[in-house]
Amino acid sequence: MNHPARHLACAAAALALLLPAADLSAAEFRLGSQIAMSGALARVGMATNEGVNVAVEMFNRVHQGRHTASLITVDDESNPAKAVAAIEQMAPQVQAFSGGYGSNIIGPASETAERAGKVYMTSGGVASELVKRGLTNFFRINNGEGYSRALVGMLNDLDIKSVAILHSTKDATQEVAHQVEEGLVANGTKVSFHAFDPAISDFKPILHKVKVLDKPDAIVMVGYENDYVGILRAARVMQPGIKLIAGVWSLATGKMANDFPELMQNVVGTSTLPYPVAFTDPEAQEFAKVYRDLYKKSPDYLGVFGYVQTRLLLDAMLRAEEAGALDQPGAVAAELRKSLNDTLIGPVRFDETGDNPEFTHRMGQHQGKQVVLVWPEKAATGPVKFPATPWTTPRVASE
Amino acid sequence: MRALPYVVIAACYAVVPFALGGNDYIMSLVVAALTLAGIALSWALLGNLGGMVSFGHAAFFGVGAYTSAILAKDMGLPVFLAMLAGGIGAALISVVTMPALRLRGPYFALAILAYAQIFRILANEMTWLTGGAGGILSIPPLPTVFGFDFSGKTGAYLVILTLLVLGVLAYKLIRDSYWGLALKAMHDSEDATRVIGVPSTLLKAAMLVVSAFMAGVVGAFNAHVIGFLEPDYAFAGTWSVIPVVAAIFGGYRTLSGPILGALVIYLLDQLLFKNLMPQGHQIMFGVLLGAMILFSPSGLLPLLTRPFARSRREATTTPTTEKRHAAAA
Repeated sequence: MNHPARHLACAAAALALLLPAADLSAAEFRLGSQIAMSGALARVGMATNEGVNVAVEMFNRVHQGRHTASLITVDDESNPAKAVAAIEQMAPQVQAFSGGYGSNIIGPASETAERAGKVYMTSGGVASELVKRGLTNFFRINNGEGYSRALVGMLNDLDIKSVAILHSTKDATQEVAHQVEEGLVANGTKVSFHAFDPAISDFKPILHKVKVLDKPDAIVMVGYENDYVGILRAARVMQPGIKLIAGVWSLATGKMANDFPELMQNVVGTSTLPYPVAFTDPEAQEFAKVYRDLYKKSPDYLGVFGYVQTRLLLDAMLRAEEAGALDQPGAVAAELRKSLNDTLIGPVRFDETGDNPEFTHRMGQHQGKQVVLVWPEKAATGPVKFPATPWTTPRVASE
Repeated sequence: MRALPYVVIAACYAVVPFALGGNDYIMSLVVAALTLAGIALSWALLGNLGGMVSFGHAAFFGVGAYTSAILAKDMGLPVFLAMLAGGIGAALISVVTMPALRLRGPYFALAILAYAQIFRILANEMTWLTGGAGGILSIPPLPTVFGFDFSGKTGAYLVILTLLVLGVLAYKLIRDSYWGLALKAMHDSEDATRVIGVPSTLLKAAMLVVSAFMAGVVGAFNAHVIGFLEPDYAFAGTWSVIPVVAAIFGGYRTLSGPILGALVIYLLDQLLFKNLMPQGHQIMFGVLLGAMILFSPSGLLPLLTRPFARSRREATTTPTTEKRHAAAA
């Protein structure tokens, strides 16, 4: 055998020896996502699912040639029974679930995942009842307390003396509204409370009461997109003499800034990100880049949540795989509980119930066509405009 | 042909659990379809026999679900007894809706729809009892009886199948009785039947109670299968609309048409249309429904049985060659 032929034979033998080794260390991580792609929760479900897809794509880019992650997505049509069917459909094919939106859907879906012995990770359900069920495979990265803490913290810092809370009677909104009330009352703020049915669209009677009877310094809205639009339209007509109007999720978003630019001016809401998104750390920049590659737009906070929950889940699955325990019952759940993670939404640590006690939100304000992070100070990307409402000329608080 | 229903029922009990029992997903779709079938059957009973079109069966479904869930979870009542109580609760609450019996046609339909909304608001407001908007999580599942676990998909299937068989049986008994004859006569002219002494209001009220009971038991069953309830879900318009669509699709004037309709529309939608068009598959279902209404207004079951009915009719009415010759002679 001449030299080149010998070298070739040696190389082939070495490759043949290496291939099985490479096969042994390669793993496929199979995720399922049951989420609303149609029905009442379609918009938020799809936005969250985009983040889930980005996390899977980033995992595959990082571990290219070694590990792969695959994702099956089933539309639950915003219906609990169909969510249960979706989990049952995917359970034989996947190792864990990342998805779900709405506490009413996540509740039965996660119980089905628990029966199948698979981890169910979400960011779409903040009802406290979800973490009181004793499930060992249920995890969520956010909760109602994080939203109310941020809202109360900002209102206290602005020295607001009286607040009218307008809240939808849905489960999560009612709970957060009460948490906000407790937080404000504890700080000596006067609070008036107005519950409204999710089906109503004319908020003028409530705004009339707020304007004439309550006369608060600020209005707090705890609802969903349609509720905010209805309340803000009514408020523009009634023009109560308030200094600020604020709310929680789905409010300080790029979508609201683009769809209702005048209506949203100076409105404050919980937000993980400014808009347009300005990321500084490398992971966040990579996330935004992949997001733009896939969806040709900037990520919003729902996408960030979807990404973070899936990233944490995939990381835990990878650690379980490296420990040779991926397919053992409880291994992924145990890995998730092991560490404190620094993520795009801040620190995440899972307690025994699967909740993240570290979760605290930030507050963003619609200013022009942007959403500026205004609270807490260390995360702020600009000063808060206060007093300022959509129908008044604002001035910057620090001026 | 007369034995066909018994053969179908026997096959549903004996074949389906063995053929599909290993696939939780398919069984869960079948159970959901049969749940809709239960409401469709109760709606058809009221519409066909009572002559009343309801757009608010979600009211009875939701009340049955809440009654059973609360009794089983908070008071520890055995689940099957709680389900029965759910039916009774819905039947009792139907008494509250009886002023609507004074109305006819679309006015009755809208009044029942309003009741469903009232009950939804009450469930939201009565937080001390229903958990309010937060709803009730972890409702006790169907129990294990004599070692057989009814909380599994096969167990749930057998329970809802039995409820449907009992429902069809009750429907048939009422339809074939003197009361059924009176109800059919009321369809043609309520005034005329009143003149000959038929207590039409009483009969309509009785049909409302029976229909509410059936919808209530099905609602209770669904609560224990899903394990979760909230006002928006328990009293959702879906529970009023889809069963109406299913009953009309299958043939609401027949006994098994509503069940067939619910099975076909739900399983086609979830197993075929959803795979073909993951988002917006409901449009295909809409097209199918439109086609059915255009080409067979009386529903799917009459369409399927028409050839058999024709051949039966021909067999009984067409004279044989010999008879025709004899008649000519």
